Amino acid sequence: MRIACPHCGTRGLDEFAYLGDATVVRPDPSAENAETAFVEYVYLRDNPAGRHRELWSHALGCQSWLVVTRDVRTHAIESVENARDVATARDQGAGQ
Amino acid sequence: MPEPLVARSALRAHVAPVVTASVEPGVTLRERSGLTLATVSALGGRDAELADAVRSAFGLELPTTPKRVAAGEAAFVWAGPGKWLATSTGAADFASLPAGVSDQSDGRTVLSVSGPLARETLATLIAVDLHPRAFAAGDVALTHAASIAVHLWRVDDEAAFELAVFRSYAATLWRWLVHAGAARNIDARLDG
Repeated sequence: MRIACPHCGTRGLDEFAYLGDATVVRPDPSAENAETAFVEYVYLRDNPAGRHRELWSHALGCQSWLVVTRDVRTHAIESVENARDVATARDQGAGQ
Repeated sequence: MPEPLVARSALRAHVAPVVTASVEPGVTLRERSGLTLATVSALGGRDAELADAVRSAFGLELPTTPKRVAAGEAAFVWAGPGKWLATSTGAADFASLPAGVSDQSDGRTVLSVSGPLARETLATLIAVDLHPRAFAAGDVALTHAASIAVHLWRVDDEAAFELAVFRSYAATLWRWLVHAGAARNIDARLDG
């Protein structure tokens, strides 16, 4: 698999580190159901056969955090975004 | 009496010189010694202020893509979004820039790889395309050479490259390069 880093260009998988599911969002710890929400946030993951959004780090490159949307069956990559841009958009309510 | 601190090459204690006798070397490996190095990181939201300061102090446009810019003694090498490696062959004052500046003069080793077979030698260790069509003078890549993180740039249109590497990896990378250059008449020497 080759990932097109938005900063460095397309590089091999050997330069990247997988850092988990990019769809989970840290719940509000002051909410009433915080305990249940945190159990889900920390432990429970979907395991979709198909399109998935993942966090990757360009660890042996520019060290940026990226959100890669790909099909886990074919490794076909749909998009690569800066994780910072994704988080900023989410915080502003634009959502995913 | 305390022992005075002296800057020492990361390589001298570890590598023996390899000099090919009586043939034109295909690739030449040297250490760029005596460089002033510093990492420069833009402070949150102050990228423009840093760019202005670099422009007025060094007459350079800070690159925002993987490029290296140089003028006189000083150069700035892109090192990721909002990050640069500043280098100088003199005693440039990078600390006064409005940014997070960390001196790396003793933290990194810079190797110079040049000669007609320099690209071929590096290609045995590095997966990035270094053909001049894809990697021209001033182009920069952050990648790995034999799994050692390297910061690589092409100095000019001739086959001349430089690699910055963490000091503790310098001797291992040197040995990899000597090994890769063994069949290409490498001339690897520490000056002095």
